[in-house]
Amino acid sequence: MSMEDYDFLFKIVLIGNAGVGKTCLVRRFTQGLFPPGQGATIGVDFMIKTVEIKGEKIKLQIWDTAGQERFRSITQSYYRSANALILTYDITCEESFRCLPEWLREIEQYANSEVITVLVGNKIDLAERREVSQQRAEEFAGTQNMYYLETSAKESDNVEKLFLDLACRLISEARQNALVNNVDSSLPGEGKSITYLNCCNFN
Amino acid sequence: MANSLGFQGDGGSVLSMEHVRSLTDLQDLKEAYERLCAEEKDVESELLTLLGQQTIVEKKMLALQRMGPNLQLIEGDAQQLSGMITFTCNLAENVSSKVRQLDLAKSRLYQAIQRADDILDLKFCMDGVQTAMKNEDYEQAAAHIHRYLCLDKSVIELSRQGKEGNIIEANLHHLQEAEQHLKVVVSEKFDAATKSGDLPQVERFFKIFPLLGLHEEGISKFSGYLCKQVAKKAEENLQLALGTEGGERRAALIFADTLTLLFEGIARIVETHQPILETYYGPGRLYMLIKHLQAECDRQVEKVVDKFVQHRDYHRKFQQVQSCMMRGSSTDKIEPRDLDPILSEVTLMSARTELYLRFIKRRVVSDFEVGDSMATEEVKQEHLQNLDKLIKHCLLSCSVQELIGYYITMEEFYMRESVNKAVAMDTCERGQLISSMVDDVFYIVKKCIGRALSSSSIDCLCAMINLSTTMLESDFREVLCNKLRMGFPATTFQDIQRGVTSAVNLMQSSLQQGKFDTKGIESNDEAKMSFLVSLNNVEVCSENIMTLKKNLENDCNKMFSQGLGGEQAKAKIDSCLSDMASVSNKFKDLLQEGLGELNSTAVKPQVKPWINLFLSVSHNIEEEEFNDYEANDPWVQQFIVNLEQLMAEFKAGLSSVIYENLTSLLTSLIAMELEKVVLKSTFSRLGGLQFDKELRSLIAYLTTVTTWTIRDKFARLTQMATILNLERVTEILDYWGPNSGPLTWRLTPAEVRQVLALRIDFRSEDIKRLRL
Repeated sequence: MSMEDYDFLFKIVLIGNAGVGKTCLVRRFTQGLFPPGQGATIGVDFMIKTVEIKGEKIKLQIWDTAGQERFRSITQSYYRSANALILTYDITCEESFRCLPEWLREIEQYANSEVITVLVGNKIDLAERREVSQQRAEEFAGTQNMYYLETSAKESDNVEKLFLDLACRLISEARQNALVNNVDSSLPGEGKSITYLNCCNFN
Repeated sequence: MANSLGFQGDGGSVLSMEHVRSLTDLQDLKEAYERLCAEEKDVESELLTLLGQQTIVEKKMLALQRMGPNLQLIEGDAQQLSGMITFTCNLAENVSSKVRQLDLAKSRLYQAIQRADDILDLKFCMDGVQTAMKNEDYEQAAAHIHRYLCLDKSVIELSRQGKEGNIIEANLHHLQEAEQHLKVVVSEKFDAATKSGDLPQVERFFKIFPLLGLHEEGISKFSGYLCKQVAKKAEENLQLALGTEGGERRAALIFADTLTLLFEGIARIVETHQPILETYYGPGRLYMLIKHLQAECDRQVEKVVDKFVQHRDYHRKFQQVQSCMMRGSSTDKIEPRDLDPILSEVTLMSARTELYLRFIKRRVVSDFEVGDSMATEEVKQEHLQNLDKLIKHCLLSCSVQELIGYYITMEEFYMRESVNKAVAMDTCERGQLISSMVDDVFYIVKKCIGRALSSSSIDCLCAMINLSTTMLESDFREVLCNKLRMGFPATTFQDIQRGVTSAVNLMQSSLQQGKFDTKGIESNDEAKMSFLVSLNNVEVCSENIMTLKKNLENDCNKMFSQGLGGEQAKAKIDSCLSDMASVSNKFKDLLQEGLGELNSTAVKPQVKPWINLFLSVSHNIEEEEFNDYEANDPWVQQFIVNLEQLMAEFKAGLSSVIYENLTSLLTSLIAMELEKVVLKSTFSRLGGLQFDKELRSLIAYLTTVTTWTIRDKFARLTQMATILNLERVTEILDYWGPNSGPLTWRLTPAEVRQVLALRIDFRSEDIKRLRL
């Protein structure tokens, strides 16, 4: 299974209140669909999409989680292995915005420290019913060091951009990590004896 | 012929007059004349033949004149024939139109007969209904009504307009009244039968509803009856459950059992009544029945779950667990073992629910398949979606999802606490390579994931796999990491070699350690063992994780083969399991780190001085010393003995895989260090020979302790020995370049010169002159 044809594999987990459109975002991106009248997600759903960026194949494993409270312990178990989290709220629903700090606490508690978090305000096709201004959301995202994007899964606005930008950032992050790792961890065992040898020659 | 004649006559002859006139030469004239004569002859003979044909032509003309009257006769006949044909045609058309009219008349007649039959039927129905009603033969009455309902409405309309319209009108009125009356009666009788619990009567009237076109009402009424039975039975079972004594055999699972009984009851109802439903209501109607039954099921489940939560203190336990996990407070500590029964019960409840819902789904889907065989794709999809929604979002599903949500947190707590305990109680028996906690931890993880698996909920299983992965990767790995970080203490053996002063130090330190021991600090030996055991632990962990993964894969395949979960579920589990496998690699990395540590702190500081002793043994020797060395080995034998002692400890304390790894590191180290001291020494011819002997013994020894091939690691040293053994400087050329044969030189030309220079009897000019 590990010999599949891709250069990078990233896990992206979507979280946020129930009914903010997480499933629709995932469906729109992975299948190009906007299924209306979608029932609430049960547990977690799992989709894969391979994209190509600058000639490299990126496999995105997208975990669409249920927003309802009773699935929290299931969804939380996925945070730690996530490379990126997409924290979603509904711009026409103040409540879903007000819950964001609570979600951030969860991320703090369960996700790994290198995770990239993106804040997404969904449903901009319903602009006339907007309850959370873009400026307010941007300010909030700024204080939390999050990238912010507004999307419409229905109109397919910014959906592609959301995932592709995220993939780009994940690639550059992965490259940086690889670099750091190469510098500070000499190969265990034999590698260390070589450095030892060098100091001996010095004496 | 006439043409050619005409042509010739037209111009008179082939030769025109002008041409003749223009002739001046006699010869030409003669020629012309002859040609004209010949022409004349031809014409004459032609004329004769034409004249000879005259009589034949005249005869033919005569015959023609005689045929004239005959032709007039034929014309008259032809006209007569045409007239006859036209007449016949008209006649035929006349006939066929009459046939058409007859046909129409006939079909109208049939319709009339049909209608008359219908009207008769209607009448028969009217009479029949009334007598049947009088006789309380409701089946018969319903059959009549059914017949009436099947009749063409226009027939009834038409028959009203007939002569006997009034009578029919009255009869129809009766019939409709009878229909209404029958509906009411059947409903009443059904309700009465329901109330008295008279199943045959219930079924009797249940069969009548579809005859009256009341499919939905029939199903809903019947469901109502069935629901009441379900409720009654469930109530009894719940009361029984609540009355169960704590000591009884299945007391710990009593709520799961109650739920099971409820599901089994409903399943039995479906089994028993599906055939009647299908026979009298047609296929595709099971969904309606299930929908009603599920509503009752939900009501009963709610009660059972409420009682479960209340009696088992489920929510309070969850909150306790949660606060323990959040703060790690020990004020209200829960003993993980105390959670065992409740965790088992919840997973059993979930498993039964999954089984029941799968049964329901299978039944309804196959019923839809028959019922919707002629339906459009859209209708089929809609039906299946409705079913899906019913199953996914019914209260039963939600309640169990909620229970499982709490369960996962509690199971995680159970796992963490048990693992903490296993780590705290970690012991290692003498002679054991690994300590107790490795087996204990994997036993716990296996148990917890196994329990999650037994819930039959894919999401629950995945969550527990994830949580186990997290626990192993961060917490448990951290424990082993910390043990390794304490390091491997330098050996006492080494100190003895350093002489008496260190021996004094050793005594002092062991005295101190004796003091410290009482304070609970491990002695040197224990610390060493602990380090080696930790290394073994790490290796076994990485193996155990792979075994765990493989076993889980098998278990999941078994589950899938029983029809649980689909492609989606499979992909989810695969992904979670592959995360688990990557943790195995992290343990492998940790093992390598630990080995590196061991090599640099315990092996290298000892081995280096032993190798440095090589420098104190002169290799600039003559025959006499060489023989002396032969008798009393100056270095290599002792070195080998030392190595053997050093490695004996590791061989005993490390698993074979790790020991292999360590010896591999050791041989690399020896090769490298030995090379250094050789380059610091000087050699005579016999000294070179001595080194060659020493190297051979060393390689021979190391070959016996490793299974890896070590020749490669010693290739450079072997080549150096070869060089140091040469007779003359130029002899190197027999082995170099094109003469090297199968030998691959690991030494660069500069290094070859450097080694040659170690021989005191080789002149540096000769070495410089070498062309390598």
